[in-house]
Amino acid sequence: MVTPIYIIAIALGIAFSLGFFSKGSKGIASSLFYLALTALTAIAGQWLIAFLTGDQSTVEVFTSGFKPPFSISLQMGFEEAVLLSMINIAGLLGAVYLFDQFKKYGAHLMITYLLLIMGLDVIVMTRDLFNLFVFLEIASIAMAGMALITNEGKSVQAGFKYLTATAIISAFFLIGIIFAYNFGDSLYINELLMSEGILKAGMVVSFLIIMPLILELKPFPANGWGLDMYQATHPAVGALLSGASVTASAYVLYKLAPLGGEIGYQVIAILGLITFLGSNLAGLKQSHTRRMLGYSSIAQTGLVMIVIGLQPMLGEMTLWIAFSILITNFLAKSGLFWLAGIINKDELKSWGILRKHPILLFLFVMFVIALSGLPPFPAFFGKWELIMALANSGNAWWIGLILLGSLIEAVYLFRWVGYGIKDKSFDFSINCSTYKTIPIYIMGAGLIAFVGYYLNHYFGDVVWYFIPLAFAALMFILDFLPAKLKNIIAIIGMGGYAYYMYDHFLGVDNLRFFFALIFIVGGILTLIPGFTKSGKRLGFYPAALLMFSGLGMLISATDLLQFFIAWEIMTIGSYLLIIRGKNSIKHAFSYMLFSLGGAFTMLAGFAFAQSGNPGIGLEVLSNMNYLPGLAAALIAIGFMTKTASLGLHIWLPGAHAEAESDVSPMVSAILLKAGVFGIILLFIGIGAEAATNHPLTYTLGWLGALTALIGNLGAAFQEDAKRLLAWSSIGQLGYILFAFSIMTHLGWLAGLTYTANHAAFKAILFLGIGGVVFRTKTHNMYEMGGLIKKMPLTFITVLFAIITLAGIPPLSGFAGKWLFYNAVIMKEWYLQGTIVFFAGIIAFLYSFRILYAVFLGHLKDKHRKIKEAPIWYLIPQFLLMGFIMLFSMQPELILRPFGDMISAYFPTDALTWDNGTALTSLGYWNGFRVGVIIFILFGILFGWLFLTSRKVKKIKSFNIVYAGEAPERPETTHMAHNLFAGYNKALGFLVAPGITNIWKWIDESTHDLGDFIRRIYTGNAQTYLVHIVAYTVIVFMLINFSI
Amino acid sequence: MMALEHITLIIGSSLILLGLWGLITQKNLIKIVISFTLVDAGIHILMISLGYLKNRTAPIVDGTIDNAVEQIVDPIPQAMVLTAIVIGLGITALMLSFVIRLAKDKNSLNVSNFKDLKW
Repeated sequence: MVTPIYIIAIALGIAFSLGFFSKGSKGIASSLFYLALTALTAIAGQWLIAFLTGDQSTVEVFTSGFKPPFSISLQMGFEEAVLLSMINIAGLLGAVYLFDQFKKYGAHLMITYLLLIMGLDVIVMTRDLFNLFVFLEIASIAMAGMALITNEGKSVQAGFKYLTATAIISAFFLIGIIFAYNFGDSLYINELLMSEGILKAGMVVSFLIIMPLILELKPFPANGWGLDMYQATHPAVGALLSGASVTASAYVLYKLAPLGGEIGYQVIAILGLITFLGSNLAGLKQSHTRRMLGYSSIAQTGLVMIVIGLQPMLGEMTLWIAFSILITNFLAKSGLFWLAGIINKDELKSWGILRKHPILLFLFVMFVIALSGLPPFPAFFGKWELIMALANSGNAWWIGLILLGSLIEAVYLFRWVGYGIKDKSFDFSINCSTYKTIPIYIMGAGLIAFVGYYLNHYFGDVVWYFIPLAFAALMFILDFLPAKLKNIIAIIGMGGYAYYMYDHFLGVDNLRFFFALIFIVGGILTLIPGFTKSGKRLGFYPAALLMFSGLGMLISATDLLQFFIAWEIMTIGSYLLIIRGKNSIKHAFSYMLFSLGGAFTMLAGFAFAQSGNPGIGLEVLSNMNYLPGLAAALIAIGFMTKTASLGLHIWLPGAHAEAESDVSPMVSAILLKAGVFGIILLFIGIGAEAATNHPLTYTLGWLGALTALIGNLGAAFQEDAKRLLAWSSIGQLGYILFAFSIMTHLGWLAGLTYTANHAAFKAILFLGIGGVVFRTKTHNMYEMGGLIKKMPLTFITVLFAIITLAGIPPLSGFAGKWLFYNAVIMKEWYLQGTIVFFAGIIAFLYSFRILYAVFLGHLKDKHRKIKEAPIWYLIPQFLLMGFIMLFSMQPELILRPFGDMISAYFPTDALTWDNGTALTSLGYWNGFRVGVIIFILFGILFGWLFLTSRKVKKIKSFNIVYAGEAPERPETTHMAHNLFAGYNKALGFLVAPGITNIWKWIDESTHDLGDFIRRIYTGNAQTYLVHIVAYTVIVFMLINFSI
Repeated sequence: MMALEHITLIIGSSLILLGLWGLITQKNLIKIVISFTLVDAGIHILMISLGYLKNRTAPIVDGTIDNAVEQIVDPIPQAMVLTAIVIGLGITALMLSFVIRLAKDKNSLNVSNFKDLKW
């Protein structure tokens, strides 16, 4: 083992010798420099490997053979080895990235850089308080020096602010050291931590030691000096600051925190929380990329402070959690800062340029997702453990605030991702030199490697669970293939997955099998239209498969962690799918925010639910101890953001309508059912008996009824065909929520029937209308009309789907309605039932409208040469229509297995079957007989109309005259335009965007708050000094006051 | 008569406070740097005073002194002060070189003129 003293020796030795090289021998100097950094990395690396593989124990090294305080002691344990490896890798890669700058500035910059890395290394290792001070100073002098790389006024200002601020902080620290020595009689940290003198000296001494270390971490709001460094210096400096420097400083705080005792820990945690929330809020309005990254870095540091502060509660988990957050921030932030350097523009929107560089775009999106703390990246596992531990110790408020902060962070991060994927307002070219991209690739590879490590750590015994995820990852690699080939691969993969589901769940757990059918078989059907696409369709298949693998994993999840990971993966995949639409950037963003908000409330609910249980298996949902009512409500809210229940629905119309033609059916017919599946799991957890008069199910019942009403009403007033369908989804999901909330056998039967029907008919409708849109290139219904002659097959499928939707006999929609009224009457929910009934009538309005406006009436002139929708759109529609026919004519075939599943939870009042006739205590229904009768009646009427209508004169467009004038707004002459103006006058107020306005208000006022907060950063170096002094004094007074 | 260590303690603390006051009130960049050196000097005096032991001499040991351990003051604060002075010098020098760059950039020494980065 090479002793860690060589880290100092090599760095100092080379740094000094670099001074001797004249300008002529730059080559040797730079070789020596890179060699030195490699050597440092190697030393750290060999210790890390020794700790990981062997039974290497912690080593302490004392300089020149003396014991402290007469010598400096360095400790090399597992933690130190990990952190040193991180710092030195950041140093080495950063130096590669800065290759051109080193060429430009020569030995001076190299010396500064080496001293910086060495300083950070020693900060981690040293066990001597004064030595710590010395190296903190060396590191901050070197860091300030690095600010001079960018020889601009702004960067120099930032360096000056940084230098003055750290100088004052160090001065405080030095005073603390003197007192610590005076009272503790030692500078050796290991001795000081056990010294009784320090405890006796009271809080002042430990305050003077710990407070400067907190200030080094740039706590909000005394951190303006740090933010400026992130913003104005060379991006590589930002990377070092948020990667290496924070890592070192956080570890120092961790090392010395015990000095403060219990109060010290509390203070650290609270200041961390304030930093996490405040910094994220202030970042909201930021439009400068690197400054925004600075806010995010500081917020992440705040999170690490929270973890350090909660150490007394977290115990052994502290380091694991802190490391998870640190390593993610380290890898992702370094990569992002370096990317910012390549793009070399300040505005967030300029990241749209990455569209031209798919690999960099992929890394960018991955880094941001990792930073947001989403699975499967390490930070997620850290947050998960943190939240669970907080729930187990009864700290609900902490959970709420941490998740709130995370959500705020996601707001600005995902807005940025949206620009990166979609924005086209910037057109310039970027210079991807190899030495600049390679460090980014390495960080990306490192992040992926850590994903593997964490998954293995948590799920080493259930590796099979992540096979679908691996398949999605494979699609990322295969993305260079042509779209049609990828479509075949994707369908084959999904087919295999469907077989797996069939093999594992049919007969074992039919409920899961039913949802697997919707998710996976539905997925295959909606993938088929993809054959119409030519070219590569970059990014579509990875995103789609990510979503479907998430959906599939929901089915096979056995515990809360697996379930949540699956949920988030599905969310990420669907976000990436939705944002592909032409005008989707805004809607995908709002979808993501609602999804994340929902996921976070669900996470909190899960945390409460598992608290007090021996494990985190899904069965804890039936045994909630800690805040059970709140837990169930939070989980329900989480699921209801996905089902777009009233209040949480405003993201849906835009997201579903603006998505690509074949994506809309995926997200509308399939994805929404994930929320339904979740609600079912939750209700099963609550249990049939407890639920008869459960306030939650009662409330959800009302909510479902109102959602149905508002959704359907909203649909009736749309001019855009896809928006109409999207609004109708809101309404339909309202029915489903209502039906399940009834919590009886028949209620659930109706719910499952609705679920199956909606999956089928909404897929047909979106595919049918998708085919129409594909041909007509418009969503507006008043620009369509008369398409029945041009697209008769599409008309037939849409007609069948509409009849199912409207619940008109003989199709299966009626089965749902019939069951539903039985259930409502038996449950005696008359008022809610009436609302749903009324909503059903409104459904007729929009059902009629879409049929009439699109397919009937006059053919538009420009559509005269239009063709039938592509065969790839028609195939899945006819397959689904076949299912609807089967369900309609032989309902027993499907309803009986449904009934069997439900009987496990609701054994009483089941539907009974008598030779194809369904019986309840209220009445009976025979699908086949009804079907036959209606078809006969239909035949008779149709024949009669066919015979008599020959006398009618057909009017063509040509026959209509505008009295020689072209109307100003041609759409107003279309019968279907503003079709329900009268109803709108009467009921329109119900769908006035009141809820949208509430969310808008929340959005705007949060942004305004953020904007207000960041005004404290006046830019004046002196103000920042005042902040530091005032922050210290206020914290001191508050501690004194609270004691 | 106040003891020596008390006098130095008071002088050191006053210098620190004076320096802090200067840091947050003086607008001139040079004066801000000077204020920092005042804080620094104050801390150095504070360190010496805390390591002082009555009636003892400087910890410079040569062959003529017998029983050195009982004759000298605590050597550690003294060593610390030497290091701290060097570091303080380094920081002051770097600060001044920053001030030169700033002054060249805007032809001003007023700290309020360098607010290009904010929010």
